[in-house]
Amino acid sequence: MGGVSSLLADYGPAFGQALLLTWKLTLLSFVPGFLLGIVVTVLRLLPLPPLRFVLTAYVEIFRNIPSVALLIFIVFALPDLNVLIDYEPSVILTLTLVCSAFTADYLRSGINTVGGGQVEAALALGMRPLRIISAVVMPQALRAVVQPMTSLLIAVMLSTSLASQVPLPGRDLTALVSKIATDSAAGIAAFAVAAALYVATGLLIAWAGATLDKKVRILR
Amino acid sequence: MSRPLEDILFGDPSPRAQAVNRALSVFAAALLILLAAGIVFRFHAAGQLDARFWRFFALPTTWAFLGKGLLGTLQSAAMAAVIALGLGLVLLQGRLARLRIVRWPSIAVIEFLRGTPTLLLIYVCFLVLPPVGIKLSTYWMLTLPVGLSTAAVVAEVYRAGVLAVPRGQTDAARSLGMTDIQVFFAIVFPQALRYIVPALVAQLVIVVKDTTFGYIVTYGELMQNAKVLIANYHALVPVYLVVALLYCLVNYVISRASKRLGRPVY
Repeated sequence: MGGVSSLLADYGPAFGQALLLTWKLTLLSFVPGFLLGIVVTVLRLLPLPPLRFVLTAYVEIFRNIPSVALLIFIVFALPDLNVLIDYEPSVILTLTLVCSAFTADYLRSGINTVGGGQVEAALALGMRPLRIISAVVMPQALRAVVQPMTSLLIAVMLSTSLASQVPLPGRDLTALVSKIATDSAAGIAAFAVAAALYVATGLLIAWAGATLDKKVRILR
Repeated sequence: MSRPLEDILFGDPSPRAQAVNRALSVFAAALLILLAAGIVFRFHAAGQLDARFWRFFALPTTWAFLGKGLLGTLQSAAMAAVIALGLGLVLLQGRLARLRIVRWPSIAVIEFLRGTPTLLLIYVCFLVLPPVGIKLSTYWMLTLPVGLSTAAVVAEVYRAGVLAVPRGQTDAARSLGMTDIQVFFAIVFPQALRYIVPALVAQLVIVVKDTTFGYIVTYGELMQNAKVLIANYHALVPVYLVVALLYCLVNYVISRASKRLGRPVY
C-alpha cells in the first residue's frame, strides 16, 4: 500500500477538497430537486388538464434523458440561445432537474399508499382539498418514500461525477482521479482512494436513510 | 382497483367548482403557451431557427449517421445488459453463500461496484489501465464499466426477488430430495424473476443512459456521432435537441414496457 500513502502525501489536501466539492454538489442539487419534486407532485394532483399534461411531460423528459446529455445541452447549447450559465450552476441545475423528476415519480407512488378512505373521511369532515393534500396525504407519502429517496440521494451523489465533464475551478473526486491518472503513474492508487470515499459516503447515506426510515415508517 | 386519489379529492365538483376549474385550466394553458412562445422567440432571436441549422435534417445521410450512433448505443447497452444479468447471477450466488469466505468478498465487490460512479470506472478503463499494459477497444472501455456497475445493482435486485419467494417453497423442494442447485434454478429463481422483471427492465434505461459516456472514449454511439455532426454543420442547438429527444424516446419506450410487464401476469 506504499502507492496509496505516497499518493496521499502528494494529493491529500486535493482529495479532501474533491470530497467536499462532491458533497457540496450533492446537497446543492438534492435539496432543491427534492423541494421542486414536491411542488411538481402537488401541482400534478390539481384538476387542471393542461398543467397535468405539461408536468407529466416534464417528469418523463427529465426521468429519461441521460444526465450527461442534459448537462452538455445546458453548457454548450444554451449559450447559442443567449442563455449563459456558469459551469458549477450548470451541473447543479442538471442534477436538480433530474432529481426533481425522480422525486415526483416516487412521491406519486408514495401517495398511492395512502388509502382513499382517509381522503373521503377528511372531505366528510369538511376539509378543503389543498388542506387534505398538505395535512393528510403528503406527510404519509413522504414517510413512505424514505427508502427510494435514500437511493435517489446516493444516485445524485454518484452523478456529481458529471462535474468532471466541465472545467470547474475545483475538482470533484472523478475529475481528480482523471487528472492524477493523466499526470502520473499513480492512477490505480488514486482510483482506490476515490472509490473508497464514494463507497463510504454512499454507505453513510444508506445508514442514515435506514435509521430515518425505521423512525418514520408507517406500519400498516 | 380503487379510484385514483385526485378523483376522490376533486371528484364530482359542484357547477361553481367546475366553472372555476375551467377558468383556471384556460389560464394555465395560456401561461404555458406563452412560455412555449417565449422559448420559440428565444430561438428566433438567437438566429437558431435559420434554415441552415435545420436543413441538413432533411438529408438521409444525417439520419443514417444518427441511426448508426443509435445502433452503437444499443449494441453497447445490449452487451452491458448481458454482462450485468450474467455476472449479477454469479454475485448473487456469492452473496447468498453459506460460507463466510465466499459471502463477504461478494458483498465487498457488490458494494464497491454499486458505490462508485460508472463514469469513474470508465476513466479507469480509459486512463488507468492502459499504462499498466491492459488495452481495451473503445467498445469495451465503455461496455465493460457499464456492465460491471449494473451487475452489482442487478445482483441486489435478484436478491430482493429471491427473498420475496416464500420460504415454504424451498423447504418443500428440499424435502422432495432436490439438490441446492436444483432448488435454486428450478423452484426459487423462476419465481423470483416474476417479481423483478419490471425492475430489471428499468435497469435497461440506466444502461442506455450510461452508454452516453461513450463520447469520452470516442466509441461511436449516439452522443459521439452527435458531436461529429455538430463539427460538420456547426448546428449545436438543433443536433443536441434532436439527440436529447431521441434518448428520451428510447428510454420512454423501455420504461413504458417495464410498467406493462409490472402488471400481474397470473
